[in-house]
Amino acid sequence: MTVERSADVSSAALGTQPRSVACQCRNASVDLGSRAGPRRILGDINFDLHEGEFVAILGRSGSGKTTLLRVLGGLVDPTPESVVTFHGRPVAGPPQDVVFVFQNYAASLLPWRTVHNNVALGLEGKVPVAVKRARISESLATVGLEARAADYPWQLSGGMQQRVQLARSLAMRPRGLLMDEPFGSLDAMTKASLQDQLQQVHQHTGATIAFVTHDIDEAVFLSDRILVLDGSPATIAHEIPVELPRPRDQLATKELPEFLRLRRQVYDAIVETGD
Amino acid sequence: MTTLGVGPADAASPVEPGERRRTTPARGTRTGSLPPLRGLLPLVVFLASWQLVASRLSPFFPPPSDWASALLDLSRSGVLLPAAFATVITFLLGLVAASVLGTVLGLAVGASARTDRALQPTLEYARAMPPAAVVPIATLLLGFTGTMKVVVVTSAAIWSILLNTRSGVRQLNPVMFEMARSLQLGRFERVRKVTFPALLPSIFLGVRVAAPVALVITLLVEILTQVDGVGALIAQSQRNYEFAQGYGLILVAGLFALLVNALVSMLQARVMRHRPPA
Amino acid sequence: MTSATAVLRRTNVLGVATMLLLLGAWELLIRVGLLDFQNLPAPSAVAARAQQLLASGELMTNLLHTLRVTLLGWVLASVIGIGLGLVLGLWRPAWRWSMASFELLRAVPPISLVPLALLVFGFSVRTELTLIVYASAWPVLVNTIEGVRTVRPELRDVARTLHLSRRETLLKLTLPAAMPSIVVGLQLGLSLALVLAVVAELVGNPSGLGNALILAQLALRPEEMFAYVFTIGLLGIALNAAFRQIVAWTLTSAKPLPGKVS
Ligand SMILES: Nc1ncnc2c1ncn2[C@@H]1O[C@H](COP(=O)(O)OP(=O)(O)OP(=O)(O)O)[C@@H](O)[C@H]1O
Ligand SMILES: [Mg+2]
Repeated sequence: MTVERSADVSSAALGTQPRSVACQCRNASVDLGSRAGPRRILGDINFDLHEGEFVAILGRSGSGKTTLLRVLGGLVDPTPESVVTFHGRPVAGPPQDVVFVFQNYAASLLPWRTVHNNVALGLEGKVPVAVKRARISESLATVGLEARAADYPWQLSGGMQQRVQLARSLAMRPRGLLMDEPFGSLDAMTKASLQDQLQQVHQHTGATIAFVTHDIDEAVFLSDRILVLDGSPATIAHEIPVELPRPRDQLATKELPEFLRLRRQVYDAIVETGD
Repeated sequence: MTTLGVGPADAASPVEPGERRRTTPARGTRTGSLPPLRGLLPLVVFLASWQLVASRLSPFFPPPSDWASALLDLSRSGVLLPAAFATVITFLLGLVAASVLGTVLGLAVGASARTDRALQPTLEYARAMPPAAVVPIATLLLGFTGTMKVVVVTSAAIWSILLNTRSGVRQLNPVMFEMARSLQLGRFERVRKVTFPALLPSIFLGVRVAAPVALVITLLVEILTQVDGVGALIAQSQRNYEFAQGYGLILVAGLFALLVNALVSMLQARVMRHRPPA
Repeated sequence: MTSATAVLRRTNVLGVATMLLLLGAWELLIRVGLLDFQNLPAPSAVAARAQQLLASGELMTNLLHTLRVTLLGWVLASVIGIGLGLVLGLWRPAWRWSMASFELLRAVPPISLVPLALLVFGFSVRTELTLIVYASAWPVLVNTIEGVRTVRPELRDVARTLHLSRRETLLKLTLPAAMPSIVVGLQLGLSLALVLAVVAELVGNPSGLGNALILAQLALRPEEMFAYVFTIGLLGIALNAAFRQIVAWTLTSAKPLPGKVS
């Protein structure tokens, strides 16, 4: 794997050192306009994301997961009293070094650009051309798509398109990734292989990742910690640490008693929130 | 507002008056099977028999060979080329102005429901106005000038571009812009790299319909006002009872129309290159 | 009372307000003298003149003439367009052996025929009608052909399995399926008919709104010109709205679900 940040960060990702806080959320609330005026979607959300941590966000449909992620990504403004910071700076607009990965990969890739040029989008004019080229081929190699650089996104399968989006994010060398159900609409095999790739990326870049999903197995398999959203307005109803050894393996990890226990625990937490 | 018989009067075009539901721009060229060339036979036979019996017909119907020689005379006397040039310039200026204004207005009404509502009756009314009726007013205010011609052409050609841009804007996926912001693209970069290319097919669909309209309206203004151009020559040949010349010039107008359609199709193929098939 | 509020809710108040605002601004600019196109009348002057024209019956006479010719020409054009379109669309040999000729003829802008028509038919209603029919038959023709040719093959199979006769197939499947396309052609034809009526009246036919407009121009009466131009615009809107209403009333059942007919 070639996408390498710095040694201390990746060791932080492995959890061997005390971690600094990457993202802070204090009393974060969000009002969104509905027909009957503004409605509070999120109320008083408090949590930290640590540098290099992988946090999964779960919750029932419509509970506000996407909204929370969009707040972190600066795509939705929280109420004025909310304090949301990324890397020490208050979030106002998409923060530097943080990239959002959308569930709707088809809409997030520009159909008139080749795969290569889609990955280039965030780098153009910001880094020297040689650096840009190097980073593009590096990140395409990371997701195993270097052979398709000249194709157009609509010529690729769904899983490939999502990998292009991932490559585009990685080319930015992000310190934070915000992923909204990135594998939600993919088949099981593709999903598993992308999970493995994401895990590798995480280990090698040490990026902080917030990952929204509906898939309990996926959440447990990938994350260091799981947040369960619930309520109206939504708050963090449960916080479940996941202390499974890394690197994790699709078969071996999923057979561990601890994995099964966590899976159970998360399931109960979500079911309980429904009542 | 109307295609005036030239170009695609196609059902898929989203420019039908008031057809707000039919907003899916039909992407890609309407390939539709081209009719076979042998279908030209009736026209050839018709023209040939015209040629043969023409002398026995009234002077209203001179034989096609006379059309050609009348055209040759016109071009020898140095009238045809400047006229053609004037027509082309008016057509191009009008089309470009319509494209720019139509895109800007389409963006404005497409991006804001409020602006759309505010301007809707006014635009609806302006669109229903037959361009022919606008001509006398335009000459009243702007005189018999080139500017007047361009203004009339613009006012007629703008609609399909405006409407297609509007529906294009409405179909843009917000994810595209959020993605661009998340990748730290600046405002100007977002317009240049995301908004404009995303809207290009819609805008171009509008231009495709607008181009033949612009040509027809150019001829219309020229016929009505006799300010330069092929249309003015057509009107003059009527005044002077130059039948053969009249037919010849109609032929020229038809050639222009074919040329415009071919050019637009070529341009469209270029614009739609590398786009997902419809 | 409830119907009044319903009407109020349906009308685009903001849009009407904008229109009035624009008219007001126009009036004001003329009054203040900021807008000094020599010949631009104030809306109030136009309205006053329109009132006079209405009272004298002049406007109505001209309006009725244009309306009548437009509709007559359009109906003739529609009959020709649909008839010929069905032949060309349903009978392959006819299409193969003549469509290219039609396509080439279609390229000639009908507008360019106006002076010639004047020469041949003189300054008469005949010229006007001929032009209208010729111009507005094209979109009907093209859309009818397009409509019947693109009827989905599945429908044809349905006809075969149900053992429908040729006539039944045409009346019960092909035509209804082609209807949306034909309707679009009819609508295009209608607005074209009005355009050609106005053009013909502008250049020669001695009656109708276009003729009145030209007479007002020659008499240097800008208010009257605007009054007629606005009337023509209103006629355009009214024709369009009436057409859509009639289509809505008569063809609701023929309106296909989205995507059912290409
Ligand atoms: N732009 C918006 N305006 C108003 N309300 C919104 C908007 N976006 C989302 N909402 C509301 O906010 C609530 C949370 O939506 P959100 O998309 O965050 O849910 P989610 O947890 O991501 O759901 P899912 O799992 O289905 O993706 C929902 O009730 C939704 O109706
Ligand atoms: Mg969501």
